[in-house]
Parts: sequence; C-alpha cells; structure tokens
Amino acid sequence: MLRHRSHSVLRLSPPALASLPLVAFTIAFFVLPVGFLLVSGFYDHGFTLKYFVHAVSVSAYLQAFQNTMVIASLVTILSVVFAYPLAYLLATLRQTIAKILFLVVLLPFWTSALVRTTGWIILLQKNGIVNDLLRGVGLTDQPIAFVFNLTGVLIGMTHVLMPFVVLPLYASFRSVDRSVILAAEGLGASPVRLFWRVMLPLTSPGAIAGAIMVFMNAIGYYITPSLMGGPGQTMIAQMIAFNISEQLNWGLAAALALILLCVTLVLFAIVQKLFNFGEMMSSGSSRAGEPFGAEIRSRSVGGRISAGLGLLVVLFLVAPILLIFPISFGSSTYFTFPPPSYTVKWYANFFSDNKWLRATGNSLVIAALTVVLSAILGTSAAVGVSRLKKRAAGFFDAYFIMPMIVPAIVISVALYYFLAPIGLIGSLWAPALGHTLVATPYVFLSVRAVLRGFDGNLEYAALGLGASWPTMFRRVMLPAIMPGVIGGAVFAFITSFDDVVLALFLTNLKTRTLPKLMYEGVAQDIDPTIVAASCIIIVATLVLLGLNLLASRSSHARVDHR
Amino acid sequence: MRPVLKLAFAALGLCSVAVPVQAEDLNFSSWGGSYQDAIRKAWLEPFGKSTGVKIVEDTNPEVAKIKAMIDTNTVEWDVVTENGVRLARGISLGLFEPVGKMVDVSHVIAGARNDYGVPSEIFSTNLAFSTKAFPDGKPQPKSFKDFWDVEKFPGKRTMQDDPSAMLEAALLADGVPLDKVYSVLSTKEGLDRAFAMVAKIKPHITIFWHNGAQPVQLLGSGEVVMAIGWNGRFQSGIDDGLPIRMSWDQIIANIGYFTIPKKAPHKDTALKFLSYMVGGEPQSRFSNYVAYGPVTEDAWPFIDDKRKERLPSTPERIKNALFVDYAWWGQNADKLTERYTQLLQQ
Repeated sequence: MLRHRSHSVLRLSPPALASLPLVAFTIAFFVLPVGFLLVSGFYDHGFTLKYFVHAVSVSAYLQAFQNTMVIASLVTILSVVFAYPLAYLLATLRQTIAKILFLVVLLPFWTSALVRTTGWIILLQKNGIVNDLLRGVGLTDQPIAFVFNLTGVLIGMTHVLMPFVVLPLYASFRSVDRSVILAAEGLGASPVRLFWRVMLPLTSPGAIAGAIMVFMNAIGYYITPSLMGGPGQTMIAQMIAFNISEQLNWGLAAALALILLCVTLVLFAIVQKLFNFGEMMSSGSSRAGEPFGAEIRSRSVGGRISAGLGLLVVLFLVAPILLIFPISFGSSTYFTFPPPSYTVKWYANFFSDNKWLRATGNSLVIAALTVVLSAILGTSAAVGVSRLKKRAAGFFDAYFIMPMIVPAIVISVALYYFLAPIGLIGSLWAPALGHTLVATPYVFLSVRAVLRGFDGNLEYAALGLGASWPTMFRRVMLPAIMPGVIGGAVFAFITSFDDVVLALFLTNLKTRTLPKLMYEGVAQDIDPTIVAASCIIIVATLVLLGLNLLASRSSHARVDHR
Repeated sequence: MRPVLKLAFAALGLCSVAVPVQAEDLNFSSWGGSYQDAIRKAWLEPFGKSTGVKIVEDTNPEVAKIKAMIDTNTVEWDVVTENGVRLARGISLGLFEPVGKMVDVSHVIAGARNDYGVPSEIFSTNLAFSTKAFPDGKPQPKSFKDFWDVEKFPGKRTMQDDPSAMLEAALLADGVPLDKVYSVLSTKEGLDRAFAMVAKIKPHITIFWHNGAQPVQLLGSGEVVMAIGWNGRFQSGIDDGLPIRMSWDQIIANIGYFTIPKKAPHKDTALKFLSYMVGGEPQSRFSNYVAYGPVTEDAWPFIDDKRKERLPSTPERIKNALFVDYAWWGQNADKLTERYTQLLQQ
C-alpha cells in the first residue's frame, strides 16, 4: 500500500507536490483577503474582544448558531437517507435512463432559489395543491402547515442539497463488486442485513463525502430558509450578511464568521476521527470484479423496494419544478395556481430584452471557467494530499474546505478589496476566480473519495513496467478517478451557476450573472420572467441531453455496422 | 475598515495598476427590477435627452460595496439610491456627500428632507386585508389597532421581519399619538411596550415577510387575512385583480433617497441630476410607473385625480402619516434588530 512506501520515494515523487497550486491559490484568494477581513473581528482602535463577547452574549446570535447546526445536521441526515434509494436506482438502471435521471437530480440547480421556493410554496401552502389533495381524499380536514416553519426549511434545503450526496454515492455504488452481493445473498443474508452489513460499509466513503458537502453547504444557507421557514429558523449566515450589508458592523460579522469557522472545523475533525479517513483509504480496493449494477435483470425483494423508494425521491425532486412550467405561462405577476389566464409574454420578455440573454451568457462563461480551474486545482490537490501521511493529510483536508465554511458574503467583500485595485471588477475573471475558490473544495472532496477506492497496486504495476508518472496518471489513475472528477466538476458548475452573493460584489452591469439579475428588484417584486428563464434553461438542457443521447446512439450503431 | 487593515489592503493592491474610472458622464446605480425601470423612464432618459449626458446604469448599490469602493479608491457610481435606514448607516460612516445642503430642497415636504440625501419618492406602510375574509357589508379592518384585534378580526397575519416601521405601528396600535411615537420609543419603558405588542400579536403571524411582494402573495393566496406592508406592492396586487384592499386611515411614510458617494467621479453632473429629479414636473412622472408619491407639493398640478387616489403623499394623507425618523433608526437599528430577531425566534 501507498502508506508503506519508503520515505525517499515519497520525497522524490512529484504527486505530493501536486497540491501546491491549490495551496498557492487558496493563500492568494482566501487566506490573505479573507484573513484581513476576519482580523477586524479583533480590532477597534486597538485589540478588542468586544465583538466576540457581543456575539456570545446576545441570544439572537446564539439561537441562530443553534438553528444553523440543527438544521444543517437534519438536512444532512435527510439528504443521505433520501440519496440511498435514488443512488441505488441510478446505479442499476440502463445508462440512457440513468443519464436522464441524473439531470432530474440536478434540476433544482437549474432554477433560482426564488423560483424553486415559489414552486414549493404553491404546492405546500395552506390552500396549496398538497393540502387540497389531502383534504380531498379525507386524510385531514384542517390544512397542515408544511411551510413557514422547520418542515418547510427542511423540505426546501433537502431538495436542493441532496444531489451533493447522490453523485458521490452513485460512484460508490458503481464501484461495489457485484460478486460480494451475490455471495452474501447466496449465504442467505436478508435484504436488511445485506444493506447494513455489506452495502452500507462499501458505499460509506461516497455517503460521507456527500454528507460533508451537504453540511458545509447548509451552514451557509439563508435565502431558502428565509423564504420557506419562519422566524424560528433564522440562520447565522443571515445574521452575518445583515451585519455586513445593512449594519456595516464588519467587526461583529467577522467575529461571527470566525466562531462559525472554528465550530465547524472542530466538528469536521471529530467526523474525521470517528470515521477514520485513513482506514477508509486502504479499503474498497476491490476493483477487479464485475461492477455492481451492471446488467441487473431481475431485482431482489430488497432491490425492488429500494428502487420504488428511489422513484418516490425522484418525484420529490421534480414536483416543484414541474409546477413552474404552468406558472411560467400565467398572466399574473403574483403567482397563483392555476393561473387566471395564459400568456407567453414572460418568454417574449426573456428573448426581447437582451439583459436576460447577456446575463445567461455571462453565467455560462463564468461557470465554464470555474469548472476548468477548479477541476484542475481540486484534482491535483486531492492526488497530492492522498500521498501525505495521515496527520498532514488531515490538516490539508481541513485547510482546503475552509472556503466552503466561511459565509459567501464575507468572501465576497474580502475579494472585492483584493480584486478592485487590480482592475478585475468588470471582468468575468473576478466572479470566475471567486467561484473557483468556493467550488474547488467540491472537486477536492469528490476526488479524495474516489481515490480512497483506488488500488495503489495498479500504480506500482504501471510504474514498475516502466511508465513515467505522468503516463501512469493519464493511462491508469485518471480513468479510475474520472467519476470523482466529473462529479466534482458538476458540483463546481452548479455552485457557480447558482451563486448570487459573490456576484453581488464581484460583477457589474456588464458582467452580471443570471442569478444576480433574477434577484434584482426582489425587495420590491418578483419579475415572472425569472420563471420563464428557468423553464427555458431546463428545456434547453433537456434538448442538449437528448441530442447527445441520439448522437451517441447513432455512433454506436455505426460501430456495430462496421 | 480600520486604518491598519486599509493599509494592509492597499499593500495587497500595490503591485497592481490603478485603472482610471471610465470617462462616462453619469454612472447611476439602483436596485434593478420594476423600481429601476420606473426611475429610468421618469428621470434618467428625459434628463439624458435634455442635457446630452450619457447615463450608464448599474445595479445593487450595497452600502457595504460603496464603503469598499471608497476604501480602495475605485468608486464607480455617481448617484446611488438607498432607503432611509441604509442612508443613515452610511452617513454615520461618512460615505456620502452632504447633497441635502448642495441641492435646493426648500420646496420638499419638511419630513422628507435629509442633509445627505435628496428624497426621490414617498411610499407608505399600510394595513391591507383580504376582501374574501372581510367582505363589504361586514366590519373591515382600518387601523393598526384592528391588526392587533384578533377577536374582532380573526385570522392569520403577516408583518415585516425588520423592526423599522413595525415598532411604530405597534405603538400606534397601542394608542400612542403620532407626534409622541419617537419620544415614547426613546424610553426603555416605551421600547418594552412596543416589543410587548409585537410579542402579543406574534402567535397570529404566519410569517414575518422579507420581500415586499410576499405580503401581497400571502394575502392573494389566502394564507393570511391581513398584512402590514408597502402601498405600492398592495396596489400592484390590486391592479392584478387580487382580492385585496388597503386602508389609508393610518399610514407610516417611508422615503427613498438619492445620494452621491464620496469620491464619485462625476460629482457636478450628479448634483445637476439630483436638482432635476427633485423638481415638480419630474417628480410628478414617477407615479406613472409605480404607486409611490412625489416628495414635493409642486408635483400635484401635474397629477390627475385618478392617479392621486393611489398615492400616499397627498396633503390629506400626509396629515395622518407618521414619518419614519431615519436618524433615530440610524442610531438604534443594530440593537433593536437584534432584539426584534430574538423575539421572533422565541
């Protein structure tokens, strides 16, 4: 195993150095700018602790910290529980159908938080569709309060964060050796036992990587909670944003952000200890067998139940998104369902006012830059860190995910101070660099997760047979970790495509992104054009995917004919 | 930003080339959406046409971003628009030029004047209700007192998640006369009284709204029967055919301001634009697009009676209005927001 390599090899081998680019990038765009801003938590005409004292003595902040931790934990648990049947379903379906379902999983990100919460509220409000249904069939006579409380927050956040578990978990499912399952079944394991004793341990690296991403993401959430929750669900990120933007009390905001960072890092360290990352690194290197899910023709009882549950999860993901299609044709500025009358004027708006198309174009370019940069930085860093000793690796694991933990509004302001003097505000590079900073941890975590399943002996075999390290990487390691790279790249894309807060400070009218444009004027009213815009993006993606599937099918057909 | 940090940031940016601000004539930034559309049609385009000034628009003039621009010498905006509370916060940090002393505002309604901002429009915080819940011929809520009266007007309600104007409404509902509201709020007992009123109505509040469209949406869908919100938003819901009515018996007047950030590149042109915007005839145009009222009596001759009906700043309505005291909020917003949030969380 890699861990047993001799010291000299470790020192000479280039792989450990591969984390250097991300180390440098993080120092330049995170440690220095954000560090300077956070230091103001200790400064008011000289050293002070007053902001920290204030932060821990005002119960509004303590309550918000507690809300944040409780909500983030619950959302993480729900996401993992829901992701299991869905990932199982995806891993056992035909590739074509699986591809379409993947798109469904990512659909929430193709719309703005404003749009998807609108869909949810229409479904779940007092006179909403779900309550009407429940009353219709006589299950309840009083409307159930699904929104504007904790339930609403959990529904809204799980809906959008679950994909962060589904993708890595899918990769884990695909790497399970099917003969292990057949052996367990042959030995008479019940479906429940099979899940607990075999599937769960084998897929846990993916689940844990996903859970970490969900948790880190959830602690920074506040737009969805503020729209679907009640006052009891105020998140700390909202209080930090309030102190930055409205009160301009940056000292207090810095203190709150630092406390959040420390608490989260401690939790992360505990999770690292509990789940013993190092051990997992050497497990699951059973790659040689037939992959799980390939060509499953008949499902066991447990498999059928899981697949059925998976379909329910799919329904949960698409329901609010399907609803926005009829709404996008509604004539009312206030979203009523069913719409009083139908119109295409919001679609006409999208195509006639070039600000929408331009913002969509900006978003795509920024997301593309972000994907390329973060895929390179994150993958190389993950390869590098996997070569380090356990303690050092643990340190870098924590170091590289820090940009996920610090609330985006803090990073946004700090980067402005850094990028404005060098004239980068007004260039697409400013938001692309900001997005790369917060997106790279996703690539890093997903590649780290697949590297844990990578058999080091393959590397030795290749090197021993005379391959140079780059050749080995290109021919052996990269194909093996590709699912992780792609999963991370998808997360990088949606992180960039969904961001509002960084764009707020790092773009101007020429470079503004689609989410920023969608949020403009929201204090006053919601322009229904944003719903039409979301529908257009969804349809465009579906069409692209469809063409892609058709093209790959016809190219397969050609190969067959030859 | 503290001086030490300012130095540090300056050092970080030292190796860079300072890029000169573009030589445009006037850079304007507001909050986008229908509000900025109205500003464009009422003021930006006519001003540009008559003076030849080329106006470049931007969006989201966050006060925090203005501060960052000033700290890094990269101020791009000449004119920005802020609500009263944000203006007050910016004033205390020295972010804005004293435009109220540089532009003639003698014709402006006295309650709307401010040394550091030229008022652009008056909007009001009103009580509104669902006409399905309280139809004609039955008692209908009219005052903030009725909002608190859950016996006479049962049903769920919504109010704002921000204390400004809400604490005032609470005291008005508790019987404090208009001219005493801020002196009562300035005492500890007065504050306790206002917060006790909010605590009393809290069990009947479905959601404390964050965006202006929310109360309209909630009234329209029947989720709540009564709301305290902004007149322009309710009006747009009514125009859209939603079963909503607004009460004008008791209103709280809020003011929007235009101002100039320190180090703005085209200060002189910006001042000319502010003088133009606050004039009588231009002031009359804004309400063609949004139901927000003019800040000067000079505008009324240009506004017909039908449109007047919809606006909060008519002489009769102003008489019953409580003007939000932004200077007071500038000093108290931080503590009171914390306390309000704390109460809401319980």
